[in-house]
Amino acid sequence: MADPVADATLIARALVAGDRHAFAELVKRHQSAVRATLRKLTAGNHALADDLAQETFVLAWRNLKSFRQEAKFSTWLYRIATNCWLGDARKRKEELLGDRADAVADEDDDAMPHIGDEVHADHAKGTSLKMDLERAMSALSEGERAAIVQCYHNDLSHEEAAYVLGCPVGTVKTHVLRGKQKLKAALAAYGP
Amino acid sequence: MTTDHDWLDHILSADDDYIADDGFTARVMSALPAPAALPKWRKPAVAALWGVAAVGLAIAAPGAMVDVGREAYRLLATVPVSIAGLATAMLAVVAATGAAAAYTLRGND
Repeated sequence: MADPVADATLIARALVAGDRHAFAELVKRHQSAVRATLRKLTAGNHALADDLAQETFVLAWRNLKSFRQEAKFSTWLYRIATNCWLGDARKRKEELLGDRADAVADEDDDAMPHIGDEVHADHAKGTSLKMDLERAMSALSEGERAAIVQCYHNDLSHEEAAYVLGCPVGTVKTHVLRGKQKLKAALAAYGP
Repeated sequence: MTTDHDWLDHILSADDDYIADDGFTARVMSALPAPAALPKWRKPAVAALWGVAAVGLAIAAPGAMVDVGREAYRLLATVPVSIAGLATAMLAVVAATGAAAAYTLRGND
C-alpha cells in the first residue's frame, strides 16, 4: 500500500496550482475530527456542527496562504473551527462570554445541572453517559468548554490549546481546572 | 483502582467513533468560491494598450525613432559583425519578442 501523501504536500498543491482535488483530500482526512470537535463544542447539535464544519473548511481554503506550518494543519483547522463556533455563539447570544460568564457561574452553582441526582432515573429512561456529558458540557462557559474539548477530546497540549483558543496558556489551564470541577459535580454519579 | 482524578479524564478522553464522510466533502467542495477568472477583455485590452503606447510615442517624438534607428545602424556598421553573429543576434531578438508576446497574451489558466 502506497504511503499517503503528506498534508504539507497536499497544501502545497492546493496553494501553488489551486488544486481542488488536493484540498478535497485534506477535507476527507480531517472532516471527522473537525466535525467531532464541533459536535462537542455545540453540545451535540449535529446539524449546527456540520454547518460550522463546512464554514471552517471554506475559510481554510480562502486563508490557506496564511497557514505558516507553525502548527499542525489539524491544529490550525481546530483554531478556525473554534473561531467559527465562537462567532456563531456570539451571534446567537446563547451564553455570556468570558469573565462575566465565569463570575455568574461561580456565584450560582445551581446553574450547573446536577445530573448525579437524576442519574438513576435517567438510566431508567435510557439516557446515556454521552448525553449527560453533553448536557454538562453545555452548562460550561465557552472558554471552559473549548479548553476541555481541545485538551481532552483533541488531546492537545496546553500550548497547542492556547494557540487554538488564542489566549495565554495560563488561561487555558484555568479554564480546564474550573471546567473539570464543574463536570465532576455534574457527573458525580459516574465517579468512584 | 479508579481515583477521583482519572474517572473524569477517562470519560472526557473516550474516543468517539469515526464520523463517516457521507457526502460532507462534496458539500464543502461545492461551497468553495469559484476560481477567480480573468476577464475575457484582458487580452485585447493589453494588446490595444501596447499599440496605443507605440503610436503615442511615435507621434510625441517623431524624430526619436529615426535617431534610434540611425544610431543603431551606426553602431552596427562600425563594429565588424559576422553573418553568424548577426544571425544569433536576430534570433535572440526574435526569441525575446516572442517570449514577451507570449507572456503578455498568455492564457488565463
